[in-house]
Amino acid sequence: MKLAERYNRANLLASLVMLIITGIIYYTVIHFILTDKLDRDLEVEENEIRHYVSAYQRLPLASSYLDQQVHYKEIKGGYNIASEFSYTTYFNAKENEEEPGRSLMTTVNLGEKTFEVVITKSRVEFEDLARIILLITLGVTVMLLVVLMLINSLVLNRLWKPFYTLLGQMKSFDVSRIDNIGQDPTGIAEFRELNTSVNAMAARVRKDYKELKSFTDNASHEMMTPLAVINSKLDSLLQTGAFTIEQGALLEDIYNAIGRLFRLNQSLLLLAKIENNLIPDLQEIDMKEMLEGKISQFQELFEKDGLSISLAIAPSTVRMSRYLADILLNNLIGNAVRHNNANGSIEFRLDSESMQVINTGKDFELNNQLFERFAKSVSSEGTGLGLAISKQICVLYGFSINYENHQGRHCFSVTFSKQAQPTELLHN
Amino acid sequence: MKILIIEDEKALLDSILGYFIGEGNICETASNYQLVSEKIALYSYDCILLDLSLPDGEGLALLAALKKMKKKDGVLIISARHSLDSKLEGLDLGADDYLVKPFHLSELKARVTAIVRRKNFDGDNIITFNEISVDVLSKNITVNEKRITLTRKEFDLLIYFLANKGKVVTKNAMAEHLWGDEMDITDDFDFIYTHVKNLRRKLLEAGSQDYMRSLYGIGYKFGAI
Repeated sequence: MKLAERYNRANLLASLVMLIITGIIYYTVIHFILTDKLDRDLEVEENEIRHYVSAYQRLPLASSYLDQQVHYKEIKGGYNIASEFSYTTYFNAKENEEEPGRSLMTTVNLGEKTFEVVITKSRVEFEDLARIILLITLGVTVMLLVVLMLINSLVLNRLWKPFYTLLGQMKSFDVSRIDNIGQDPTGIAEFRELNTSVNAMAARVRKDYKELKSFTDNASHEMMTPLAVINSKLDSLLQTGAFTIEQGALLEDIYNAIGRLFRLNQSLLLLAKIENNLIPDLQEIDMKEMLEGKISQFQELFEKDGLSISLAIAPSTVRMSRYLADILLNNLIGNAVRHNNANGSIEFRLDSESMQVINTGKDFELNNQLFERFAKSVSSEGTGLGLAISKQICVLYGFSINYENHQGRHCFSVTFSKQAQPTELLHN
Repeated sequence: MKILIIEDEKALLDSILGYFIGEGNICETASNYQLVSEKIALYSYDCILLDLSLPDGEGLALLAALKKMKKKDGVLIISARHSLDSKLEGLDLGADDYLVKPFHLSELKARVTAIVRRKNFDGDNIITFNEISVDVLSKNITVNEKRITLTRKEFDLLIYFLANKGKVVTKNAMAEHLWGDEMDITDDFDFIYTHVKNLRRKLLEAGSQDYMRSLYGIGYKFGAI
């Protein structure tokens, strides 16, 4: 829920409650005032009757006007009762219907006789009046609320604009990009402070990132020298004399482990370089020629495992780095060989839109997690970085790489997009 | 050949020295910038193995100085930096080759030999080993004056063996030399065997002695028995 939305909701709820309470109070007060006025009118009427009785020693005529009726009734036994107001009904002869009324019941003494006097007035007009006043008041209040809410939302939207701009920039913040965050000028102190803090944080993050990067870079390079020493010492050891087959096997294992460590290190460095777009040799590449070259390069590996190759290759040109294209193909073809069955098959498809490498292999379902770093099967001899690198290369050029399982055959497809170009990134 | 090895890592320096010494090679070593500048100013070498990161200076500056002196020494850069940039920069400055650490000593030897051969090229670029003679430019191989035909891989393999004669060369090193980075995908280099076998058969059929021996299941040695 958005802040403005929540604020508006609270606002609306409070206003509604206040409106209801105000309405009730308003109605009660108006009703009370009008009843009071009616009662005073009734008292005036009563006084007139008393004056009339004391002046003429007889009762005035029982009357029945439109809005007022007077009735007399002699009370046997003769006792006085106090004046008493009550809500009654009032029969409107003209409309021929019962209306709400207000009655004053009192007694007058005429000589020895006591008469009960009931004066009734119609309440209809008062009720109507009360209702109209209430409705007008409520109407104006509701209108005011609506207008207030509209203004609120407009002003709030405008007030929050710098915030959303900042948020957008923070979302698209890339630690390797050089651009700053939040250059939107705003008069609001809170947002200005937010701007400053976010920029300070970005600068800190960028600095940490840069340090970490150069540390990784240096650490990787430094690791190469001891590896070179080990490798050269093994080469020298090998020249020193006769070894048994067992010792030879041990040495071979050491060589292989060094080779793997070296490749791992190289892959990590490469990955970092691709992520930072530090490989600039962008050019038009004839994919058909390159793929065919690769396939003939790999021929011996295919033959070693008895793999059969089928091709469906159409001319295709892709704009990317030759170095990275080479790595991408190596990785995809390498995977297809490494994870294949003996006497399996590999199918290459290439057209101007996409490239697919489909191979037989162990029958298991893989998911898109296999593009993660170090995601590899236990039996794999690889570094676990090949597909992560391939993915990163595709991301750099706006290609998409996907894995699918086609009836037990593993299919990796790269979809080229012609428009996308690598974004200009910080070169450091 | 006369070689100057510039490397600040003593252990690595010793290994390289040990591998190159013999066969009439003269090797000198230097492990700091100061000493190197003196040596390259005073003497000439067939090949200089140059480590880019020295404790008291940048290797590329040495290369630039060497070129400024218009020296014809061959230069092979050895670097732990596997970046395209420094590689291109090195080659632009006039280095003959670039090798990334870690490397196989046999690979280093093959490259140095190739550089020296190119430098000393005087009309006939021919390697001779007993009855075997290889013209590197025309790719003519003769055994006892009899021509034999080799595939590209077999030819490369023979050159590699000749540069490393008398040494044990591992299958890993051979695979890397012949196929480069593609060999990443397998640790099983037995298919090297096919090429070695074919090369050996062709040499034997042409009447050469059997110079190739498989050793300890890990590699091969080429040389007179």
